[in-house]
Amino acid sequence: MGALLELEGVRCGYGQTRVLHGVSLSVGEGDIVSLLGANGAGKTTTLRAITGGLRWDGSITFAGRSLKHLGTEDIVRLGIAHVPEGRGVLTELTVDENLRLGVYLRRDSTSFARDYDRVFELFPILRERRRLSASTLSGGEQQMLALARVLLMRPKLVLLDEPSLGLAPMVVRSIFEVIRTINQTDGVAVLLVEQNARIALELSAHAYVLEVGRVAVEGPSSELKGEESVRRSYLGY
Amino acid sequence: MQEFLQQVVSGLATGGIFASLALALVLIYNAMGLVNFAQGEMAMFATFIALVLIDRGLNYWIALPVTLIIAFAGGVLIQRIVIRPVERAPVLTLVIVTLGLATLVNGMAGFLFGYVPHSFPTPFSAQTVNIFGALASYQDLGVIAVSGVVLVLIYLLLQRTTLGLALRAASHHPDASRLLGIRVSWMLALGWGLASAVGAVSGLLAAPILLLQPNMMQTVIIYAFAAAVLGGIESPLGAVVGGLIVGVTVNLAGAYVPGVGGDLQLAVAFAIIIAVLVLKPNGLFGRAGVRRV
Repeated sequence: MGALLELEGVRCGYGQTRVLHGVSLSVGEGDIVSLLGANGAGKTTTLRAITGGLRWDGSITFAGRSLKHLGTEDIVRLGIAHVPEGRGVLTELTVDENLRLGVYLRRDSTSFARDYDRVFELFPILRERRRLSASTLSGGEQQMLALARVLLMRPKLVLLDEPSLGLAPMVVRSIFEVIRTINQTDGVAVLLVEQNARIALELSAHAYVLEVGRVAVEGPSSELKGEESVRRSYLGY
Repeated sequence: MQEFLQQVVSGLATGGIFASLALALVLIYNAMGLVNFAQGEMAMFATFIALVLIDRGLNYWIALPVTLIIAFAGGVLIQRIVIRPVERAPVLTLVIVTLGLATLVNGMAGFLFGYVPHSFPTPFSAQTVNIFGALASYQDLGVIAVSGVVLVLIYLLLQRTTLGLALRAASHHPDASRLLGIRVSWMLALGWGLASAVGAVSGLLAAPILLLQPNMMQTVIIYAFAAAVLGGIESPLGAVVGGLIVGVTVNLAGAYVPGVGGDLQLAVAFAIIIAVLVLKPNGLFGRAGVRRV
């Protein structure tokens, strides 16, 4: 099966500073792939390049289609959901309004209600807080809101930028359970950027390790987890 | 007491005019983080368009919506042509651009329509009606009704429709909104169109009182600034409440404070701006400038 998302020799940066020096990676349909590496390795930049947040050279294709000249809105419309650093929750709006924006692009209005029910089943706390401003949610609840919105968007691929950042270990575990659910029951492919390499490798089938803008190591997660040298030099545990 | 009530009703009518223009300012402030100094001039120009339509024999109640549609389209066009190229420029650049736009629109109105004040028709009679012992003119009540309807429509659009939701999302969180597939740039243009239309309402309501000429809105916009600042510059509801408060305050001050009547009324608006900035910088409905990170 052809890859859903394919990056080849992607180079980009901010102004004069080059951050990615030719990154190649691929995510197959229904896969969970981890993108690991230290601070400043270019993980977030890779995700931003995919959804058109900055200009890049090289090639990025999604479902066989080049993303070269597409704006962020059009890339999202192809079926890529991106939960950015800071979770992309719209704190000026209520929880319910955030969820409604998840179905903003959808035209199949009949199945909304069912999806809403399902989201509230997965995240009962969001039903309780529906009418509250999203800014009143805790970090973990905001992350749940972001994931709930992804579920409503029904994407083919979701890009997650450090979903564990700043969350208590218990919360991290439940967040990752939800990611697994999204992947398994909805068949959504996941590209997961994480600092927490241990938990990311447990979830993903395949992993890439970035080092200063290049892929230093790649392979099945189970192998990367097992190799002492890789763990020591790149993953820090 | 009776006279006091009359002054309040008349203040509410003036306040409706301020509220409409203040709401226009707030809509654009939310979309790009700065006040559109050309808002009043755009409203004045739209009012001239209405006058042309009415002079051609169009009924007032047909000319009004037609003018608002033209004003909406004009606002969208101005955003696309003038503002969009500098959308990401520093605030100072944008301030200069809107000031330039104000001068341009003012000059164009002068060139096309001249500087002689035109009387502007009103659909409301000057007769009065007795409400709880106070005499209110149909003119004042009509102004209150028209601005009230427009403000409610805007509220429903922003709070009850998906389009309004996308508009609010795009203006507060452009980056996150793009990631949800919202066409942010078009939403900003829509915001400009909406603001232009709401502003035009204030122009049309002010013209029968002030007489229509290119500089008509230059004092009105200062009252509108005062109203927007009082309401908390980011809050549409605040702009409306602020507009009504400023309208009533200015009217009462003019009637009861010796020396304020007429020329010094504008000073009351400045006093309100300064008082708000000193005592409650976020206004009545504004959020404190702190954000969770």
